[in-house]
Amino acid sequence: MLKLEPVIWGLFGAGMMVGVLLFPAWLLVGTLAVPLGIAPAEALSHERALALAGSLPGRVLLAAAIALPLWAGAHHLRHLAIDFGGIARDALVGSLCYAVALAGTVLAVVAVVRL
Amino acid sequence: MSTARARIDSMRPSRPGPTRTAPPAMPDQFWTQGRYRGYVAFGACGFFLLTVGGLLLRAVWVLGNGDPAAWQALLESWANPIYVVFHAVSLLALVWFGLRFFRVFPKTQPPKIGPFPRPPDAFFAVALNGAFLAATALGVALLWGVLA
Amino acid sequence: MSSSPTKKTFVVTRFDPDQDEHPRTDTYEIPVREDWKVLDALNYIKDEVDPTLSHRWSCRMAVCGSCGMQVNGEPKLTCKTALAEYGDTVVVAPLANFPVVRDLVVEMEAFMEKFKAVKPWMIHAKERAAEEGTYLQSPAELQAFKQFSMCINCMLCYAACPVVANEPSFLGPAAVALGHRYNQDSRDDGDAERNEVFREDGGVFACSYANECSEVCPKNVDPAAAVQQAKLLNVLDWAKSFVVPRGGKS
Repeated sequence: MLKLEPVIWGLFGAGMMVGVLLFPAWLLVGTLAVPLGIAPAEALSHERALALAGSLPGRVLLAAAIALPLWAGAHHLRHLAIDFGGIARDALVGSLCYAVALAGTVLAVVAVVRL
Repeated sequence: MSTARARIDSMRPSRPGPTRTAPPAMPDQFWTQGRYRGYVAFGACGFFLLTVGGLLLRAVWVLGNGDPAAWQALLESWANPIYVVFHAVSLLALVWFGLRFFRVFPKTQPPKIGPFPRPPDAFFAVALNGAFLAATALGVALLWGVLA
Repeated sequence: MSSSPTKKTFVVTRFDPDQDEHPRTDTYEIPVREDWKVLDALNYIKDEVDPTLSHRWSCRMAVCGSCGMQVNGEPKLTCKTALAEYGDTVVVAPLANFPVVRDLVVEMEAFMEKFKAVKPWMIHAKERAAEEGTYLQSPAELQAFKQFSMCINCMLCYAACPVVANEPSFLGPAAVALGHRYNQDSRDDGDAERNEVFREDGGVFACSYANECSEVCPKNVDPAAAVQQAKLLNVLDWAKSFVVPRGGKS
């Protein structure tokens, strides 16, 4: 894992940026405005959502929007675990955190490919 | 006064000195006091990055299942108050996280990368916050159906 | 009108390895002058009240870095910290995160070892003959590293850093800032070597950007900036190492 620290840090940095730029709009409209009826339901009808997400830029953006923030989140939680629980278990806890991010990355790619 | 102990071997030299030393003390305000609170909160936002990412993954997966009823059901399930609270808290947390990230970002850039000098801090403030506002506005407009 | 003495109480950590199992505290109530620094009070205690008190100090003007201690829980240079900032009781303890040798004196050998590890000297790809003259450096080139050269090695940053508390192998703010200072120096060619050190266990990526080091630094070195910049440059250097083969130098 030590050898990959530069890569992980790079993914972490990108993940923070992508998460901050893309999540608020999704949270505002997709998870709040539409379900609560504030935004028109047709905006995210299955047909329209599939059209948006299934476009090439849509697939790339979604894959990035899912995968990269997972690395940022995993990295943050790993460091928090060190702060609170010490370095001794970092090999295990850190690996677990990044394994989750890796699994999520793979699933994100699969998810956008199968759209 | 912190009750947390530093590691017993924090800043321990590779060879022992001539006398017995007392073990190191932890920084006094770690981790719940003063400036450490903001630091811990910032790191804890990693939880929201993971969960929002995970929920978005689930949404894309359901979308890809090709079942319009299931997609509708997913969206409607988010009207549940627990989801509403969670998503609203996530939104607030990630906006706070983003603003703090932008604030600490400029000094992380070296004075020069290769031949390119670092722009002044004001440039970063405008560019980053501007990008955030633009991306959010565009995203909202697109998802709301106002655009395309 | 000269300042007239009032009294303040000082709760000071004491530890004599020959007599004490654990550190304890002694409490001293002494007359103080309103323009005193914490160091003045400690020196008064040693001179007039308790000659057995041990503490480090030297220049009295915040340039030598000797007098770092925890004052009411914050790492401070005691020669620079005014008593007027505090109420009736001041708690003075040795720097956090360091083993305690005696009273307010901490073991700093590990700090010296971490310093050496970052190779804080000029590394030249090719030695320059005297006839070639001196190195020329523009003001802009100087600005690229000058701030990071201002460190007085006072170790307050190590006392504030939560990673230093938890990871014994972490190089720490001052050492990384110093290595970065050399990497940024246009006269130095040792980037690749230092970046390898920065990639080792306890290198720059151990830092979690708490920024506490920069908050407590008395010289505005901003070591947190140095560490984050070092991370970015390290990633670029690491990527470059795959594309551009390194010379035989190690």
